[in-house]
Amino acid sequence: MVRVKIFGVARLKAGVPSFESDAETLQELWKTVPGLTRKEAKDLLAFVDGKAVGKKYRFQDGDEVVLMSPAGGG
Amino acid sequence: MPTEYGGYMGKVLQIDLSSGVCSEYPFSDRERELFIGGKTMAAKILYDNLNGTEKAFSEENLLIISTGPLTGSGAPSSSRFNISTISPLTGYITSSNCGGNFGYYLKKAGLDALILKGRSKAPAWIEIQNDKVEIHDAQDLWGLRSSETQQALDEKLRLKNGRVRKNGKICIGPAGENQVLYSCIVSNERVAGRGGVGAVMGWMNLKAVCAGGTREVKVAEKEKMVKHTQKWFRYLKKHPLTGNQLPRLGTAGLVSPMQMRKMLATKNYKYGEYGDFEKISGELLAEKYNFVNKGCLSCPIKCARTVEIDGKKVKGPELETLVLLGSGILNNDLEAVLRWNNELDELGLDTISCANTIAYAMEANEKGIWKNGLEFSKTEGMMELFEKIAYRRGIGDELAQGSKRLSEKYGGKEFANHVKGMELAAYEPRKAVGLGLGYAVSNRGGCHLNGGYLTILEGLGLAVDQTTYHGKGDLTMLFQDLMEMISATGQCLFTSYAFFPSPLMNHPNAWYTKAVNKVLPYCGCVVRIINKFPEIACFHLPVFHHTKGFEYVTGMKMPFGKYVRCGERGYNLERELNRRFGVDAKKDVLPGRLVKEIQDPKNPASRVPLKKLKKVYYHARGWDRRGLPTERLLRRLKIKEE
Repeated sequence: MVRVKIFGVARLKAGVPSFESDAETLQELWKTVPGLTRKEAKDLLAFVDGKAVGKKYRFQDGDEVVLMSPAGGG
Repeated sequence: MPTEYGGYMGKVLQIDLSSGVCSEYPFSDRERELFIGGKTMAAKILYDNLNGTEKAFSEENLLIISTGPLTGSGAPSSSRFNISTISPLTGYITSSNCGGNFGYYLKKAGLDALILKGRSKAPAWIEIQNDKVEIHDAQDLWGLRSSETQQALDEKLRLKNGRVRKNGKICIGPAGENQVLYSCIVSNERVAGRGGVGAVMGWMNLKAVCAGGTREVKVAEKEKMVKHTQKWFRYLKKHPLTGNQLPRLGTAGLVSPMQMRKMLATKNYKYGEYGDFEKISGELLAEKYNFVNKGCLSCPIKCARTVEIDGKKVKGPELETLVLLGSGILNNDLEAVLRWNNELDELGLDTISCANTIAYAMEANEKGIWKNGLEFSKTEGMMELFEKIAYRRGIGDELAQGSKRLSEKYGGKEFANHVKGMELAAYEPRKAVGLGLGYAVSNRGGCHLNGGYLTILEGLGLAVDQTTYHGKGDLTMLFQDLMEMISATGQCLFTSYAFFPSPLMNHPNAWYTKAVNKVLPYCGCVVRIINKFPEIACFHLPVFHHTKGFEYVTGMKMPFGKYVRCGERGYNLERELNRRFGVDAKKDVLPGRLVKEIQDPKNPASRVPLKKLKKVYYHARGWDRRGLPTERLLRRLKIKEE
């Protein structure tokens, strides 16, 4: 089980700041993001423990995963 | 001087506050072709009038408020105006850019720019209505906060039919009156914040300027411009940054990405991440506090927030304020930041320099080199502290000088986070070393925008290697020049984000985006060719609408290459002016913390390799070893005549 936090405009679309998932890889996680299609979730950046991870990364139980829309400038 | 070009009003007005004499300042079409407008026009006027001995607070200094040819033309986000002067913080040129509507109304009054000099004997405010200029007594306005001042001015401009005459305003708050070195100039809710322009206005005994009139901005090719503007608006609205992220989350939406990329300035830039970042994030601001999005005139982006605090609707904080008054001082109370942001605008203080100076004082106190009672995380009494700074009372009188002067007095220069005297923006550059270079070489001091804003490649937007120095020198130059020109034309820099093709922003995990991220740092030589010979780009880019827009408004030819060259001219002109005031490579330095201390103990590259970066950058710019433009370069750029 991993805890997933969402940031960026994706969070406004998802409607929730965080959720829990039993996905084992990022590819599996894409299917479980509330309010977002798999295609939309695929375009989010993913971080575990502050490090960017790829689609085949295997989560450890209790990991905190951050999904984030690409940002811009300020 | 009258002009044959569209977009210009053909008049620059000079007002000597010492004598009350108004006169036209000659600015020819030849100068318009070379120095365009906005900050570059202002730099040209300063270059022609200052010799390097002038002080910020002196009768010889000039305060120049200038617009660009696109200001008020209807082009997207084109309501900007610029304020340039010799900064009391740095002693060099500063240029502070502002949105709102004052630029538009200055042009309605028939002016491209307003030059203020001298010092009024008593507090004054200036009213400009078409060709009529009146200098009024401002005793009754002196001491008022910025919103009170603007309300009082509206009463003075009320017509017999009860309506307020349409006008744009700029004014200072109590901080400017008391010459706090980082005080700002306020226009409606927008702020020309950086470099202490408000202090110069305060020294001049000038409380406010109101402008209005009935002149129209002439557009050279109106029909083409209308069609182009519609297309441009559509493009910006569709783009993921200008059509989605900035309107929905504002600049505050960057807090979370900065945390993930370890570039969120935390505890006076000691760290790049903050455990409580979610409590000060743009997402929380949008979900809980944002009442409505606001934008400047003719802006499709609408990045400004309006929040409700204690039943009152006020301007929400920008990213810089949120970070520097949040993680910067270890404060996780977002509501407090909303209140402080409003208070600082009311007092007329630059939130960035103010927050950085307080963070320096907190660290100095923690280290025991200056016992002042200020502590990280301890935020009680902050409102009173701001007031003390604005009115220069007690400890506020010391804090009013900024972090550079305090570190010279008390020590701790390695953690006084400024460049050339002006405090840094909210990005921690050890994980964005290209921005570190930008901070160091920026003409106005520690500024992310004047520094080229390479963070958009280094994790915010694209994701090139954050700590490599490869390619960063050349890319910094290109971005600085582009942004210089966008500012000179009177447009908002946010329009430039659409320069990045949407697929790269929408699909960060796609193979082509990853390829761009990998390859970009090694494209320095390609970027160098564009930088050295921009004229080869004698066409318009489909993702960069600015060049065609400029042509349709002014009637001047402006392919992409020439656009970049004009930006390069502006950047070098400011540098050359700064040379007269003593700027060279020795002044392009970062605080010791950022170049010596490693941010991440596991990553020895997590500090700014400034020496290497500067070497490549100076070479790219064609500057000599002292970091100064060569005579040949100045002649080639037509800054000096052949």
